[in-house]
Amino acid sequence: MTAKPWYSGERGLTQLADAVGSLVKDVGRVRRAWHWDTPRPHTWPERGAVVPAPASDLGWARQEPVRTIRYLIQQGLLLPFTEAMSHPKVEGREWVKELDRPVIFAANHSSHADTSLILHALTDTARDRTVVAAAADYWFKRPLMGNIVSLFLNTFPFSRTGGAQGQLHASSTLLKSGWNLVLFPEGSRSQDGRIHEFKPGVGHLANETRTPVVPVHIRGAQRIMPKGQKLPLPAPARVRIGKPMTPKPGEGSREFTTRVEKAVRTLAETPKSEDLQGTWIERWRASKPRELVYGED
Amino acid sequence: MARPGAVIEVDRNTPPVLFHYGEGVRLERLPLGSRIVYPPDPLEPIAHPERAIKRALGRPLDDDPLKSLLRRGMKLTLAFDDLSLPLPPMAAPDVRQLVMEEVVDMAAEAGVEDIHVIAALGLHRRMTADEVRHIVGDRIFSTFWPDRLYQHDGEDPDENVYIGKTAQGEEVTLNKRAAESDLVIYVNLTLVPMDGGHKSMATGLATYRGIRANHNVKTLLGSRSYMNPPDSALHHSCIRQGQLIEDTVRVFHIETTVNNHAFPAIASFMQKRETDWTAQDQAMFLAMKQMTDIAPPAFKRNIFHAMRAPYGLTSVNAGQVDAVHDKTLDAVRNQISVPVEGQTDIVTMGVPYLGPYNINAPMNPVLVVCMGAGYLFNLYRGKPVLRQGGVLIFEHPCRYEFDAVQHPSYIDFYDEVLADTTDPAEIESKYEVRFAEDPWFRQLYRKSTAYHGAHPFYAWYWAAFAMEYAGDIIVVGGERDVVHRLGFKAATTLEDALEMAEQTVGRHPSITHLRVPPIMLCDVQ
Amino acid sequence: MLALTYHRSVPAFALVRASGGNPEVATSALSMLHLGDVPEPELPAAGWMRVMPSLSGVCGSDLAAIGGHASLYLDPLTSYPFVPGHEVVGVLEEGSRVVIEPALGCVVRGIEPLCPRCAEGRPGLCYNATEGPIEVGLQTGYCASTGGGWGEVLVAHPSQVHAVPATLSDEAAVLIEPLACCVHAALRGGAAKSDVVVVVGAGTIGLLTVAAVKMFTPPKRLIAVAKHPTQRDLAMALGADAVITPGDAFQRIRFATAARRLDGVDRSLLLGGADITFECVGRADSLSDAVRFTREGGVVVAVGMPGDERVDWAAIWQRELTVMGAYAYGSEPKRKGRRTFELALEAAPELRLERLVGPLFSLGDYRDAIAYAMSAGRLGAVKVAFDLRGLRA
Repeated sequence: MTAKPWYSGERGLTQLADAVGSLVKDVGRVRRAWHWDTPRPHTWPERGAVVPAPASDLGWARQEPVRTIRYLIQQGLLLPFTEAMSHPKVEGREWVKELDRPVIFAANHSSHADTSLILHALTDTARDRTVVAAAADYWFKRPLMGNIVSLFLNTFPFSRTGGAQGQLHASSTLLKSGWNLVLFPEGSRSQDGRIHEFKPGVGHLANETRTPVVPVHIRGAQRIMPKGQKLPLPAPARVRIGKPMTPKPGEGSREFTTRVEKAVRTLAETPKSEDLQGTWIERWRASKPRELVYGED
Repeated sequence: MARPGAVIEVDRNTPPVLFHYGEGVRLERLPLGSRIVYPPDPLEPIAHPERAIKRALGRPLDDDPLKSLLRRGMKLTLAFDDLSLPLPPMAAPDVRQLVMEEVVDMAAEAGVEDIHVIAALGLHRRMTADEVRHIVGDRIFSTFWPDRLYQHDGEDPDENVYIGKTAQGEEVTLNKRAAESDLVIYVNLTLVPMDGGHKSMATGLATYRGIRANHNVKTLLGSRSYMNPPDSALHHSCIRQGQLIEDTVRVFHIETTVNNHAFPAIASFMQKRETDWTAQDQAMFLAMKQMTDIAPPAFKRNIFHAMRAPYGLTSVNAGQVDAVHDKTLDAVRNQISVPVEGQTDIVTMGVPYLGPYNINAPMNPVLVVCMGAGYLFNLYRGKPVLRQGGVLIFEHPCRYEFDAVQHPSYIDFYDEVLADTTDPAEIESKYEVRFAEDPWFRQLYRKSTAYHGAHPFYAWYWAAFAMEYAGDIIVVGGERDVVHRLGFKAATTLEDALEMAEQTVGRHPSITHLRVPPIMLCDVQ
Repeated sequence: MLALTYHRSVPAFALVRASGGNPEVATSALSMLHLGDVPEPELPAAGWMRVMPSLSGVCGSDLAAIGGHASLYLDPLTSYPFVPGHEVVGVLEEGSRVVIEPALGCVVRGIEPLCPRCAEGRPGLCYNATEGPIEVGLQTGYCASTGGGWGEVLVAHPSQVHAVPATLSDEAAVLIEPLACCVHAALRGGAAKSDVVVVVGAGTIGLLTVAAVKMFTPPKRLIAVAKHPTQRDLAMALGADAVITPGDAFQRIRFATAARRLDGVDRSLLLGGADITFECVGRADSLSDAVRFTREGGVVVAVGMPGDERVDWAAIWQRELTVMGAYAYGSEPKRKGRRTFELALEAAPELRLERLVGPLFSLGDYRDAIAYAMSAGRLGAVKVAFDLRGLRA
């Protein structure tokens, strides 16, 4: 059973023969003992109860073909790459664990890496149902580019220059269909890393569709791929997800947008602000699983 | 329908019995007329554990509903049993996770801000972050780790307080956070009757000073056995200590029991009786035997230690400790009791690969003794299955294999202490204090994942009664120098061992084989 | 007279060294060692005596010279060709049994005034090793003028000659010289009653150091590090409290001294450790370990003859170790100036040194003798010696 010493003459071929011999012997023993060739002895007690089946697993979510492919691409390529590039530190994942209705993620924008970082920060279920607003004039100029980006990141064209009405319609349809929406209210990537004024679109959208807005701050993305650089370089990043915000009764879109902007700015600075990120009790409640493990009442 | 445990007599048609052989399996033919004791089948687990837990917390025994005990602004501490239970480790979700999530839910509802969650490991080793996550679950882990979910440190002078002395002079110490809390909720998993009750607080959150009051040779020799609390001096002492603790701080105990479905479907041949083995079980046995015969030890260890038990919750009780523990012990005995008529001259058993103190580590020779002559021998009620002066026969490879990270004090115990003497009383008086106070062991216990310096001594004392009671102890298949160092006799096959045993017990001895694991408690009449 | 002589030959040395000290090569016709008939040594001055060796031991230093791994440091201190053999018990012309104290200091060379080292009783460290009626040489057995133990006759100064009591057999007496080296080392190490002492190596020097330390400077705990089973049994019999293997050294010494152990890339070190370590092997591995398990501020005594060995000095520097050599013998200030050989002769009967000696070979079988001595540990022997009693009528 243990390794044999060099002088015992039992290495290689003899050891193999030994192993085969012992296997044959064991099979023979089991065969005789369990009466493969004869009926079951009547002196044996009655065959006993089958041991109880273990508790059932959670059911798998249904996946459509493209979503499956995207899932594979994200899991196999995008997320590991993002992880390796920046080891993003995520705070506030509890808010996106058990979303029972779609939300709008409003994030600061400083780099093309922002989208990957946000998708990385989400949980699988949230990411599966998330769509990203990408500037139509930039990404969807050349058809191939837009399709590839949509495959990888689940983007949709968002016109920056057209009228407010056009923007609203596409986005609210998506929200009503049950998709989470990622928006960058600054409009374009910030050159210097500072947060610029948020465009009022996000407030309009929230009011129209009565969707909560989740403020997200991303730090460090412009070191990975600043505006103008083609190649991403490794650099650490941090994503802070705040508590979902809803407009107060009587609050206008512009005021709400300003409030969201202030939230994102505050998320940037303070380490742990309870009113923006929630107390541990709020986060605990938010992450409570919606489905029980052992079936319903 | 779950069958109760059974005692079968071996006749010519009986198939050979499965013996655990450390990280391996063997089939042995027992002589005609031997008895084989089988554990009961696993009971049906509770279908909706969360409901049962909620009910227990809403209507506790001899105590107010938990909701009413929680209020804003209080100091709450949640303590739970560490990974030495259950064995093998449970498949996710662990029952303690389910209980703790309910409790934390209630705490969140009540608005309790100051809550700490402590792993009550006593002098056991600290767990890695992954091991803690496995017990408490992702939600609790991500919410509280590392500042409010941590592990008890029995050697921290600032984090432990001296509570007092019992009437018999036993010193009692307690984790400071627990002692200063308004309420301590203890979440326990009782696998064998030794666990739980007052022992939870008295050892789980204690220091060396408190534990050595009853973890000593005298107390353990007076515990016949420590698997049956009414007859156990160890438990009487723990009860005294626990009562002093209950006088100091309010404790709400939640105790759970599981059935004894210890092996997953792939290893069901270990769970089932031999006469029930299907062709699949036989094939699985052959595959396992060949693999364990030729594979290197590290590979085998990975396979065996990856097994997760599909345990099911069989009872949950909450409230005042004595009332709760009575019910818990009833539930445990209900699952594992087997009535056995009379004692025999020889008892045989295979020592399995896993004990409470070698999760993810090899079972070193000292722990083989602790498991075989300690835990497994003492799983009786009334009298041991072995008669006084009889022979105890184990099967285990007994290799000189130690995990340097988890068991550093065990290596020195084997090399220095056992080389000198194997007598527990002499070992206690000569060496225990030195190991307990060694600064390196203390540092490894506090900062690394090592067992306390005094822990190998307790492992040895656990087997003290068996060493005194049995006439001879023979290890089949173990390495000779190791077995001799342990103070036992070595044999190569079971037949040779029985031959050697006849020197002590005479010709034609009566033999009983205990087919553990799964765990069982022999009620000997 | 019949004698083994060692000749200085650079190509022979290179050849033997290249063979890795293989005994077949080291004692072949192409080596430095030859057996043959050579003229007897002449008496260099009045008072010198002729001594006929009865038994003469094969020492580690002899094997180093024959095997080609001796340190070149010793070359200028030796005159060639010489007859090896400095562990000698023999008879004088009138028949009385004596042991030889080999060191050739100022007294032996007849030089006045004595050099400072000889004046303080350390003739092994004599400054005047090149002066006097005899050629260069630190000891009898490395000097061309004096002859040596591996020959029929050698010449000795009266101060080198010590009478052997009748109670001490020849076999025991041949170990007096190495015992004196170890007594000197033990007294230089100066272990106190509260010290933990480690003796690394259990060849002749290691075992006799264990005995000497136990007898002259008994410590709190004496741990011997031994590789081979026979050595382990002898170490226990000679007074070690515990015997450990080299692989277990760090773990067992850590436990004995309640130290902390840190594991490095290639070696461990202890925070704390043994108070005094006697290093009786002289190889890089054991020296490197010794400087890491001796406590900070402790003492490492190099007793066994080391050669050109590589040791990481960072450990010696950081731990503020005192590393000292212990060579030869003389007068011991810690024993009121008594001579080491006298102390050794007094200590010998109690130790039953005969059990360390064996087997004995005649000069003609010198090739087997050298080969056996080179594998003594593995073969379960300690001191291999030449028996020249058969050469006398």
